[in-house]
Amino acid sequence: MLRVQGLEASYGESLALQGVDLSVEIGEIKALMGRNGMGKSTLLKAIMGLVKIRRGEVAVEGRSVTGMPTFQIALEGVGYVPQGREIFASFSVLENLRVGLLRFPRAERVIPKEIYDYFPLLKERENQRAGSFSGGQQQMLAIARALVGRPKLLLLDEPSEGIQPSIVEEIAEILKKINQETGLTILVVEQNINMISDIADSCAFMEKGRIAYACAMEEIMRDESIITRYMSV
Amino acid sequence: MLIPGIPRLLVLAFFLLLPFVGNLYLVNQFTLLLVYGMFAMSLSLLWGYVGLLCFGHAVFFGLGAYIMAMVTKQMIPGMDGILSSSLAGILAAVGFNALFALILGWFLFYGRLSGPYLGIVTLAISVLVERIFINWYYTGGYNGISSVPALSFAGWEFSDPRHLYLLVFVLSLCAYLFLRRVVNSPFGAIISAIKHNEARAESFGFHATKYKIKVFAIGASVAGLAGALFAAAAEFVSPTELGFKMSTEVLIWTALGGREGLIASFMGAVTVKLLENYLSEALSEYWVLIIGFIFLLSVIFFPQGLFGRLLENRNKGWSVTSPQRSKTKKEGRVC
Repeated sequence: MLRVQGLEASYGESLALQGVDLSVEIGEIKALMGRNGMGKSTLLKAIMGLVKIRRGEVAVEGRSVTGMPTFQIALEGVGYVPQGREIFASFSVLENLRVGLLRFPRAERVIPKEIYDYFPLLKERENQRAGSFSGGQQQMLAIARALVGRPKLLLLDEPSEGIQPSIVEEIAEILKKINQETGLTILVVEQNINMISDIADSCAFMEKGRIAYACAMEEIMRDESIITRYMSV
Repeated sequence: MLIPGIPRLLVLAFFLLLPFVGNLYLVNQFTLLLVYGMFAMSLSLLWGYVGLLCFGHAVFFGLGAYIMAMVTKQMIPGMDGILSSSLAGILAAVGFNALFALILGWFLFYGRLSGPYLGIVTLAISVLVERIFINWYYTGGYNGISSVPALSFAGWEFSDPRHLYLLVFVLSLCAYLFLRRVVNSPFGAIISAIKHNEARAESFGFHATKYKIKVFAIGASVAGLAGALFAAAAEFVSPTELGFKMSTEVLIWTALGGREGLIASFMGAVTVKLLENYLSEALSEYWVLIIGFIFLLSVIFFPQGLFGRLLENRNKGWSVTSPQRSKTKKEGRVC
């Protein structure tokens, strides 16, 4: 689904990505882990065209999207939920969801029923101002808003950040369910190992702008020293 | 609080009834106020709804006025006799502005200009165009063009000030309804999303630059319509109408009234101009000091403008915004 090869990108002066190779297979949930400042968020931004790529290649379903403007990458079927969620705080819940829909022709601008099955809260509170939501609710809204755009690949940046544990678990369950029922491919940046072990099929660790280690989830379950090696400060 | 819509209806009723109760002096004065109000609404669309701080918006107003004057006075070479009606003048003013804004917008927004940079460049364009018209002998140089013919459609001349007022009133109302439709449409939702977070809007598949250019052209067209009506109503046009001073004035009207509301901006223009008409006589140059002071106070104490809360329906549509909130959210983001 997603293939990243030799990706280099800089953030200001410093080279934040120094040759990233990563692939995500169709239908899998892949976790991207690592300590702070190792380039995980930057990698997602670079895939999304939000950070200028210096060298290397990004391909979605075999089609190169390297150097495309962000809106075109979105139209290629990549959904993105950034860190901090970035919902439109002053829009209502329904308006937030509709923004995700507006790029379709008028007749297709319907919020799929499944969205409300996954996130019933959004139906109940559709007229509430999104800014008044709690962090966890905003995260659900942000994920739902990305889903109404019918992506093939969803990029999630730290969905558990600043959210109470019970909601993190709920979000993890919903993500797993969506993945199993729709076959949506997900690449998720995450530090929360509990959440990852619940949902991910495979895992990649970043260190200093490169992928340092990649493996299936089972391997980590067997050998927890991998996590201490790449995650502990 | 007030029942939503009532203050707006009062504004509508006031302007509708004015020509039937007011004397001719008042009617003439308010005809121009309507035009200024329409001009302010067009800036409100760009600044309040999309966040494009256009510091040279008078360029579009002034060009509209000049085009109207030149068409109706048959000053366009090779076009005399063919294109001379008021309708042709208005269409030419609106059409030229749309085209000019599309081209200008293409350079500005593909050049990734935003915020203060956009302000400075548009300001420079406004000053530049003003210099051109001051030095252009054909359009009367510093004196501009006078005795612009009154409006006439299909042989019916609007020489009676009350008729002219009603016509301008109807056109202002149409401009308002048109702009309101734009901001409440899906297109309006997208431009509002772009204003709040451009990168976010892009990642939903919207080509932000293209939307900005389009909305820039819409704002310029409405400003051009206002300019064309100004030329016909005031019967003259001079470089003042497209320069620095006018550009700043319309910013002040819009900010004072409430840039995030169309009627609020409209009322901002009407209020400031009315005060100016009466107070500048009584206070001469101190007037500028006072308006500056009011402007400062309003920026500090009423960031939504004097009429923002009163006239706009806070719970409706895509226009609902809270700039402070989205700002802190943005700054609070750690990458």
